[in-house]
Formats: sequence, C-alpha cells, structure tokens
Amino acid sequence: MSHRGVVALLAGALTWTVLVVSACGRRPAPAPATDQPAAAASSGAVQIVLFFVAEDGRLQRESREVAELPGSPSARARVVLEELLAGSHTGLASPVPWAVTVRTVFVDGAGTAFIDLSAPPQPTIAGTSAELAFVYAVINSVVANGGGISRVQLLFGGKEVVTFGNVDLSRPLPPNLDIVTP
Amino acid sequence: MRHVLTCLLAVVLLPAIALGVTIRTPEGSAEVATQGDLLDVVSLLRLTGADVQFAPAAGSFVATLGEHELQFTPGGALAVADGRLLSLPGPLRQISGSVYAPFPSLAALVAPLGWSLTGSASAPVLARTTTRERLTVTVLRAEGGVMLVVSGTSRRPRVVTGTGSVTLEFTVPIELAAALPAADELRGAEVGDDSITLRLAPDQEVASSYPLEDPPRFVVRLQKAQAVAAVAPQQSQGPVVVLDPGHGGDDLGAQSADGTAEKDLTLAVARATAARLQASGITARLTRERDEHVALEQRTAVANRLQAVVFVSIHVNASPARSARGAETYYMSADASDSQAAQSAARENAGASRDTVQLILWDLAYVANLNSSARLARSIQDRLNALQGIKDRGVRQAPFVVLTGATMPAALVELGFISNPDEAARLRAADTQEQLAAILAEAIGEFLRAPSGETVTPVPVAP
Repeated sequence: MSHRGVVALLAGALTWTVLVVSACGRRPAPAPATDQPAAAASSGAVQIVLFFVAEDGRLQRESREVAELPGSPSARARVVLEELLAGSHTGLASPVPWAVTVRTVFVDGAGTAFIDLSAPPQPTIAGTSAELAFVYAVINSVVANGGGISRVQLLFGGKEVVTFGNVDLSRPLPPNLDIVTP
Repeated sequence: MRHVLTCLLAVVLLPAIALGVTIRTPEGSAEVATQGDLLDVVSLLRLTGADVQFAPAAGSFVATLGEHELQFTPGGALAVADGRLLSLPGPLRQISGSVYAPFPSLAALVAPLGWSLTGSASAPVLARTTTRERLTVTVLRAEGGVMLVVSGTSRRPRVVTGTGSVTLEFTVPIELAAALPAADELRGAEVGDDSITLRLAPDQEVASSYPLEDPPRFVVRLQKAQAVAAVAPQQSQGPVVVLDPGHGGDDLGAQSADGTAEKDLTLAVARATAARLQASGITARLTRERDEHVALEQRTAVANRLQAVVFVSIHVNASPARSARGAETYYMSADASDSQAAQSAARENAGASRDTVQLILWDLAYVANLNSSARLARSIQDRLNALQGIKDRGVRQAPFVVLTGATMPAALVELGFISNPDEAARLRAADTQEQLAAILAEAIGEFLRAPSGETVTPVPVAP
C-alpha cells in the first residue's frame, strides 16, 4: 500500500471513528414521522390520580404531581404504573402483593392496554378483596389518567392468566369504581 | 504499525457489517437492515406488501395487509394480530430510530399476515403461506388421564377451555392431516380456518396444556371431571340449590395468621347451609363434598347441568388492610364484555346451539338473571347485616370466573375477613358457622318464596 493510500485509509478510519463515537454519545436520532412515536407531550408538572388500599380494604384515590406525562398512551401508562408501584405518599396500603416490575405496556388502536407485569410468586394473592384491590388499582389508575385507554388486560411474565382465584383476567377489563371509597 | 492498521481496518469495515442482510423473497431478493442478529421490522414487513405506519394516538405501529391488521410497539414482546394478542419469542427494540427484532419474533409477526419467514437471521427466506399447516392429533394414555398430542406445527396455539370442549386457536390457517383417532374421551372435532375445537366426553375436562420441543408438539392433558361425577343430576326432587364451597385441595384460599384455611371454613359453612335447606324441603347440592380441587368453570357447570334455581359461591375474605372487616356479597358485573363472556360461557356450559332464536333467548335470560342475581345478593347481604357483629360492606359487582356462565341467579358471598384476627377467630367458631349457615339458608329460602317474574332459566338444548 502506498503512503498516500495509508493516509487516505487513516483519514477514512478517523472520520468513521469520530462518527461512531459521536453517535454513541447521543440519543438515537428521530426517524421519519410516519415511523416514529410522537414526542413526549411535556407541559410541566401534571396532576395524576392513583388508587391505593384504604383501611377498610377498599380502594381510595390519591392525587400527586409528576414532572411530566408523555403523550404516547403506552409511555403515559408506564409512568402512572411506576408511580403506583412506588407506593402511597399518604400512608395508604399498597395493593401490590409482590415486587412487581413493568415489562411491557402495549396499547392497541381500540384503546385497550395490554400490561405485562413480572411473573408473581406462588401462591400469588389470597382473598377476594386483595385480588380486586390489586387488579383494579392498576386498571383504575391507568384508565383514570387519560391516553385514550378504556380497558386493560393484565399479563404476567408475558403470559395470559385466567385468574388468581376469583377475578376473570382472561380478557380486557374496564375500570371498576364499585370498590372505590367515595 | 501492522496491529494499528488491522484495528483501523476493522473500524473501517464495521459499517459494512451493520449494513444488512439479503433476504430471499418471491420477487427475488431485497436488503434488510440489521443490528447484530436483529432485523429491521418495518422494512421486512413492507416486503410483504403491508402498509406500515406509526399511529401516534395508539403509540404503536400498525401494519395493514388486505384484511389483516398487525399492531406492535417497540420495547416489548407483545403484538396484536387481527384483534388477537400475540406473545413474541423476543422483544422488539428501537435502535437509532428503527424497530429491530430477533428472527423468531419476525417469523411470528409475519405469520398472521399470511407469510412465513424461514431460514436464519443471516439467510432469511420470506414466502407467502400458500398451504395450511397440516396438524395430526394423536391420543396417548398416561397415568391419571389422556394426552392429546398435536403435531405438525411449531406454533403455540391459544387454548380456550369450555365445558365439554377445548379450542386451540392458531394464527395461521390449519387443517387436520387425518381423522381424529377414536377414543372414549373424545366426541369429535370441529376444524375452523385457524382453529380446532375438540369435543370432550361428558366426564372429561382439561387438566393442563403445554408445548414440547424436538419435534415441536402441543399437548392437551385431560382428566376425569371429578365434580361432575360427584354430583349426578337428581330426578323429580323439586328446585335444586347449588352451594359452592370456595377453593379446596391444593388451593387453600386465604389463610389466617394462625394457618386456618379459607377452604375449610367455606366447606363447613356450605355443608351446614345444605343441611338446613334440606331440612326445609329444598334440595341442595355442593360442588365439592370434601377437600378436593374443582376447576372454577366446573363449579358453574354443575349448577347448569342440574338446572339449579340458585347458585351461591361461599368464600372468606382477605385484604392487605389488616383492619378490614365485615361481610359483602357480589354478583356478576353488568359491563357489556362481561355480559358477552357470561352468555358465551353459559351457552358452552349448557351445550346450547347458536341459532338466532337461541341467542335471543339467552340474551333475555342473561338480563333477567342479572336482575335476579342482584335481588339474591341483596337478600343474603341484608341478613348478614342483621347478624350482630358483622359490618355491612354492601352488595357489589365484579367479573368473577365462578359466576360467569351461570344460567340461574348467582351470587358470591364473602362471610368475613380471615386476615382480621378478630374475625378469623369468630369465623373458626362452630356456633358462628351455624349462624352463618342459618342466614344463608333463610336468605335463599326467602329469595325462592318471593314472587318474581324476573328469573328466567333457559332450558338447555341437548348437544
């Protein structure tokens, strides 16, 4: 290889290395509008409503502010879920009986959210009130905070679950305010 | 110097490695971008002719091809194909503004669109699915039951269990390669475009289902339906009330701090209630007579087959709030999807035909029974309220599996909280259990005596 060839090669390599290092150091560039999720619709602090367990075992609303609420329904639901899983700020009991992590949130065009949570230990939940509190704390919280979501189907470890004991989890469910303290 | 040049050459060649892979298509070949073993989802889907767009309102991508619609979101391993949930083998990832997926996930994504992806990540082959997957069902006998082994596909079907049947729903067209083998446990099969429904003998139920590998198969294990066998239809004994002691066997239900199990309390109260009903001239049957596991669907099916006039599922409650106390009674929620699920399950349970007149009758029956169920729940709750020491938690509605599909007025009663130490001690006491049984028997008797034009129990059509 000639001296000039080596110089050209080194110059090309240097240019590529700079590009790679530059690309690694920043967030992925947005793709064309038709293929990309919408940008987060952030407009300062936002009030959200969550549902925790009151002393009588029913669900009770708790409001709090979050820094931002994304415009994308799935991202919005994920923010709400993370806030729910972080626990009550006012001393209400957690409806979540195990260390749950949110694996996936998927929202279809009909407003149904499929929320995949980490697989539970066995046995999972015992008692109708405990089961209802868990299921509807998640569903009510997600639906109450907009994003066009009207129903939620819960999945665990990527799999559909028929029931933990009583409540039918085999299909998307609407929110239930019948078990919420007025 | 040579070492430095080698490293620089590797850096220079890196873009070539990341460029993509050549994919064979019916029209020849095309290039699809890759990231390691991951392939560009949108580009590959567009090779099928699908229109792929991002739907900002849903936050997901939508691929449309003919009558098929596929929705997916980067970051997870879920998709919805033609309204049906699709669990992918691996997650979709968003990298540098594009969506990438492992080869098996892409194969799963293109299948509902009528395409197949074979070969490997480095040499993929995209082709139209021109033939149906030919399935073979074989019957293997094993200790404790029969195994139905479905071979001829590597796809894991969605399993929908009904009373007297099990349906395997695939995401691609299927057909049976051979007639279903003769077996006492089977009554035949109905093959749909992408599903197969296996009709089971009356004494059979699905115990479990799972996939096997090398070669890929799918197994549905059957077992004797214990609850149905234990409660045979009675002849000419007047109206039948079915009581359902919650939980049983390995399913302990809720437990108190000292280890008292819900399943034992519910059986004790159900037995005592049945005895009081029998003493008053009302035929009462239990969904389980002993400490055994009975599937939820089977409990309702027992009531339907006996053409019971009332179904009451008996439970004891638990809550993360330790101070929670009191009794409450539930009936089926009135949401439209609950209604549809209940009607569908009820028809399955009773083996009803699906002609238009029958469907209308079932709709009328469902609405009427919902009103009657509310009245039954109110009757039970009012008497529980009157029992000294019990706090009224009211009548509520919820989508409980055990109430779905009941063709008669049905309620689920929670007698108290076993998670509350004071109530647990009270519920363990034999005299409390007798009091509760007396209340339940009185409430059911009152419900049956009250004039009502609401209750409609459709006559099941013979399968």
